[in-house]
Amino acid sequence: MNAAVAQSPIVSITNVTKDYTLGKVVVPALRGVDLQVHPGEFISIAGPSGSGKTTLLNLIGCVDTATSGVVSVAGQDTKQLTERQLTHLRLHTIGFIFQSFNLVSVLSVFQNVEFPLLLQRKLDKNQRKERVNQLLEQVGLAHHAKHRPNELSGGQRQRVAVARALVTRPQLVLADEPTANLDSVTGQHIIDLMKELNQKEGTTFIFSTHDAKVMNHANAVVRLADGKILDRLTPSEAKRALAVGAEGH
Amino acid sequence: MGQLRLLMQVAFRNLFTSKINILIGGIIFFGTLLVVVGGALLDSMDSAMSRSIIGSVAGHLQVYSDDSKDELSLYGGMSGEPDLAVLDDFSRIKPVLEKHPNVKTVVPMGTSGALITSGNTVDLTLARLRDLYKKRAEEGESPALRANLDSVKSHVRQMVSLMEEQRNKSRELLSSAAVDPLEVEALARARTDAFWDTFEQDPFASLEFLENRIAPQLPDGDLLDMRYVGTDLDSFQRTFDRMEIVDGQPVPQGKRGMLLSKFYYENFLKLKTALRLDNIKQERDLNQKRIDTDPQLQRWVKENQTQPREILFQLDPIKTGQAVERLQKVLGSKEASLEKLLSEFLTTTDDNFDTRYQQFYAELAPLLELYRMRMGDNLTITAFTRTGYVQSINVKIYGTYQFKGLEKSAMAGVINLMDLMSFRELYGYLSPDRKAEIAELQKNSGLKAVDRANAEEALFGEESGNTLVAEATPGLIEDSKAFEGALGSLRRDDLASRVYSQQEIEQGVALSAAIILKDPEQLQQTMEELKQASTAAGLKLRVVSWQQAAGLIGQFVLMAKLVLYFAVFIIFIVALVIINNAMMMATLQRVREVGTMRAIGAQRSFILSMVLVETVLLGFVFGVGGALLGSGIMSALGSAGIPAGNEALYFFFSGPRLYPTLSAGNLIAAFVIVLLVSAISTLYPAFLATRVSPLQAMQTDE
Repeated sequence: MNAAVAQSPIVSITNVTKDYTLGKVVVPALRGVDLQVHPGEFISIAGPSGSGKTTLLNLIGCVDTATSGVVSVAGQDTKQLTERQLTHLRLHTIGFIFQSFNLVSVLSVFQNVEFPLLLQRKLDKNQRKERVNQLLEQVGLAHHAKHRPNELSGGQRQRVAVARALVTRPQLVLADEPTANLDSVTGQHIIDLMKELNQKEGTTFIFSTHDAKVMNHANAVVRLADGKILDRLTPSEAKRALAVGAEGH
Repeated sequence: MGQLRLLMQVAFRNLFTSKINILIGGIIFFGTLLVVVGGALLDSMDSAMSRSIIGSVAGHLQVYSDDSKDELSLYGGMSGEPDLAVLDDFSRIKPVLEKHPNVKTVVPMGTSGALITSGNTVDLTLARLRDLYKKRAEEGESPALRANLDSVKSHVRQMVSLMEEQRNKSRELLSSAAVDPLEVEALARARTDAFWDTFEQDPFASLEFLENRIAPQLPDGDLLDMRYVGTDLDSFQRTFDRMEIVDGQPVPQGKRGMLLSKFYYENFLKLKTALRLDNIKQERDLNQKRIDTDPQLQRWVKENQTQPREILFQLDPIKTGQAVERLQKVLGSKEASLEKLLSEFLTTTDDNFDTRYQQFYAELAPLLELYRMRMGDNLTITAFTRTGYVQSINVKIYGTYQFKGLEKSAMAGVINLMDLMSFRELYGYLSPDRKAEIAELQKNSGLKAVDRANAEEALFGEESGNTLVAEATPGLIEDSKAFEGALGSLRRDDLASRVYSQQEIEQGVALSAAIILKDPEQLQQTMEELKQASTAAGLKLRVVSWQQAAGLIGQFVLMAKLVLYFAVFIIFIVALVIINNAMMMATLQRVREVGTMRAIGAQRSFILSMVLVETVLLGFVFGVGGALLGSGIMSALGSAGIPAGNEALYFFFSGPRLYPTLSAGNLIAAFVIVLLVSAISTLYPAFLATRVSPLQAMQTDE
């Protein structure tokens, strides 16, 4: 863990604000956030809805830009990058896991997982096949490669999404409420899977959740409220804090 | 490679999952079908019509004088006959054109029109009577001649009484002011026995009375419009091999004469009652029409019932008696009036029509002259010459002809053929004989010859006397009765039997010339080369394709094509809008999918190609479907043929049925159009798709 901290951060956020304009009203989503994430970390972002979790993840994922402040991913200041370069950065550095899985319905499980590799154009057909099968093996869906997403259960679909996010061996995987659409047992499996990959491959994971049980697996919990970071806790601290919060209710 | 395959797979799988795609596919399917079938039909019609035009009179190319005011229009123009300058000497043009390696034959031509009179029945009968009296004056009377004279005389007498009857009938309808007392008086006199008893005392005076006072009272003689093409008949028949002789014989080589078009002969010169019966039969047999339901057939039946006069006047008393007898037998009637019998006989219904039709031709037709002109008759044609004088000539009718496959086409059927010599005369130009004849007359009358070049000088110059000369105004000389008498009649006999040499036929004016090519594929090129060749030879010629030469008709298919392509254009504009809207909806439905792809790392260009590939594939799949069905329909039509429902279509179908064929061009055109339309209509939706933000992927819609 110490070794990880010693490396330069993969995500570095400095005094970032993000405003949304709804008609004539300006709604601040983030009001000055500072956060550093180091390679190999497994971080959970917690907070009530509307606290800015998704906004923060979108900024880290380079699908949105900050109103002010610096967001730097893999050492690159995202403000300085063009649309194309951002897309390139996403493709090669970041993996995405979505709350509602977001698989391409007309493609098979195999093709869904292969999709980012095709976009990358780095591997030839056999290499791709090997890599995809390896990941499907890891998520336990080797026998479902030819199925269509709508033939799978929610948990299976999310596992396909996990495989898709990891197939390019990204440095960073972002997951916005990955378990929200799953029952708790299945959700637990997904988190276990993510954790396992984190430990085996050293991939950095940042995921948002408001499920305390899910937070337990993180090695740090960043708590957000009203667009600001409340604190950065260890899981045990977070557990206590949540317990206090619950008593407070 | 992998990406493209993925795109194709996405596109292919999306193809049948979306209802919108099925809608778009349907439009493309029917659009392609329309382009393929419509295009192929019109192309086939175009080539059929081109065969009709090329094979009837036009040939592949036509040349005519560049000095012409109007453009050549072989089938008649918008406003009558086009004003063409003449080609002074065909024999000078022919070798220039024939030098081109692709030219097979060159046929001289001239198209014009005239009015002909079919003759008044009374006039014709009186003429026959006059001839008989002349014969009696020359040869003396024989018993056979006497019998003949009496028969014709009684025929005339019967006509007069028929006229009287009709006058009495119409008196009820006419006010007394409309009745000319002189006519009434003349008719009354011709009815009296006294007139006929004294007829023989001065037959010629009596005849003159009938000709001048009675015959004009019968408004019977029709003026017929007649179009004719003057040409080198032998060369014409060799060149246009669809031409065949139906009745009579071809005009002997080098002789003057005419071939009437069979269509014209049937439709304009046949006894009207018989023509109407033929028409009714044809409509019933071919088009399954019925007398009790079709107003046109009813009109024909009614006209047959009420207009028996044409038959009544034709029959002399003996034949009238025979006709009455036969009709009484057929109808089982005791009626004595032929008019009433005819009226009853011609009251045809769907039940008895076929029997009556057969009886008409078996019983009545042998008593009648079915046509107003017989093969071998001389036809008097009166036309306006180019200079505006009235010119009249007699031409012998040798036979009738038709173009194979175009038998029923009014378009090809109005063209009667005439020898070039007669045509030139009618057109107001002098043949060498005529020139010689005039020279002789001039010599006899002491007139000086003045040719065109110095006519002005001769007429108005200092030395000119008052010598208005023939050649400057040929029409005047031609028309005048100055040659009546021995010389005139001699000349007429001469002309009819004279055989002209090929050289004489070719040395002289023509209005245009038809060119038949060895290889019609090279029409455009040959046309250009002939233009250059004629300019180089100092001939001022216009060279036009058959399409231009045919005038409006030639443009018909072009116009139909324009209409089709306009319809296709409209359909595809509508399709464009619908596809555009549908693709917008499809894109909106797929915002999250596109957003996800963008988030994962797909560039905008990938999204653009995804949408485009999808549409092009859609166009391709349904386009192929439409084209296949279209080809299927065309091959079915191609073997069965499309019947030409009415006679006007025979020309465009080049026969009774059109056998359409599908060319690769039709398919390619359909394809290009379909792909273009689908690609164009997707551009905007595709652009919109590229604007989908990866943020859309984060939306939760559950």
